[in-house]
Amino acid sequence: MKKVFKVFITLAILSVSLTTNLFAQKTNSTSSKASTVFITPKVTKVDEITIKEILKPKGKPLLVNFWATWCVPCREEFPELVEIDKEYKGKIDFITISLDDLAEINRDVPKFLKEMKATMPAYLLRTNDENAVISSISKDWQGGLPFTILYAENGDVAHTRQGIIKVDIVKNKLNSLLKAGTAKKNTTIKKPCDPKKDIKIKN
Amino acid sequence: MKRKSILFVALLAVVTFFASTNISSAEEGTFPIGSKLDNVTMPDPMGKDYSLNDLKGKNGSLIVFLSVQCPVVKQYDDRINEIANAYKEKGINFIGVYSNRTEPVDAVREHIKNLYKFPVWIDKNNVFADKLGATRTPEVYYFNNNNILDYHGAIDNDRSGTNITKPFLKNAFNEKLAGKEITEKETRAFGCTIKRIKKEKM
Repeated sequence: MKKVFKVFITLAILSVSLTTNLFAQKTNSTSSKASTVFITPKVTKVDEITIKEILKPKGKPLLVNFWATWCVPCREEFPELVEIDKEYKGKIDFITISLDDLAEINRDVPKFLKEMKATMPAYLLRTNDENAVISSISKDWQGGLPFTILYAENGDVAHTRQGIIKVDIVKNKLNSLLKAGTAKKNTTIKKPCDPKKDIKIKN
Repeated sequence: MKRKSILFVALLAVVTFFASTNISSAEEGTFPIGSKLDNVTMPDPMGKDYSLNDLKGKNGSLIVFLSVQCPVVKQYDDRINEIANAYKEKGINFIGVYSNRTEPVDAVREHIKNLYKFPVWIDKNNVFADKLGATRTPEVYYFNNNNILDYHGAIDNDRSGTNITKPFLKNAFNEKLAGKEITEKETRAFGCTIKRIKKEKM
């Protein structure tokens, strides 16, 4: 009887461990699949007219990065941009605008964004007058890439950078914009004291 | 009285500090229109030295910052050659400059083979790019026969070359050659950033 019991216990332990292993394998394969699957981002074409609309903040600070796949410093800074996007997701709007040739809108641009696992809305600027567009975007932009510009909620330019961004500076600017935005909201929500109402409440 | 003097000295120190900071940042990397460029001598990719005064034409020189790898320069190559040929006859000589730290002399030598019909300089440690404040390729500087900067910026307003509506450089040349004032003296050149050497802070 003891022997039978021992065999039963051994079998039970074996089956439990097998089931656990199988389940673990299944879970691992599912999770690894989930982590590797990344949908190719859609890149939208913009021109000198439509870009004006996308550069308008919509209730949040707006961070914009101009880049191109052929621009080495742009590629170098991109992982940091993706990190900033992750950290500030929901708090700010962050878009990227590629200045690659139009032919790359379905090729190198989405391919690179996919490699970077970038989830920011992506655009490609095609204009007949780059000089005019660059001048209209910022007086600080001499025409080099990358170029990053941060707009406050009200559309004011809070920060610009031609060349690789300095992450600390961008984060400081973002934090102060967010802080200012929260403070403003709090003052707007807070109603002025109404003595009559206060008296009523007391009664 | 003593307290007032201390306050005055402190205020003066603060004002002097900010004033000097502004001056240095304004001067750094800029070469305004109308500035005179002293004669410079730099080597070509074969190591032979050439001076600006040796290379310039009777109506001046066009300095164009170039790159081996930059796709925007590639898009402009044909137009650069075309403009260089057309205006060489009118006394404006082109000089190419390679300032990228990432592009060794061998690569430049290989790159320019059968490409440009004008001399090029190797700007070691981007000293010349720093002097002019050049940051992109292609970026052009037109100096008249007295080495005074008359035009700076882009070649035209469309890198693809298919929709050029503003041929900035040609316009500047034509106005200058006609003895007129150049209408647009400065434009923004779109292109690749010049990769500079890292300088140690003093």
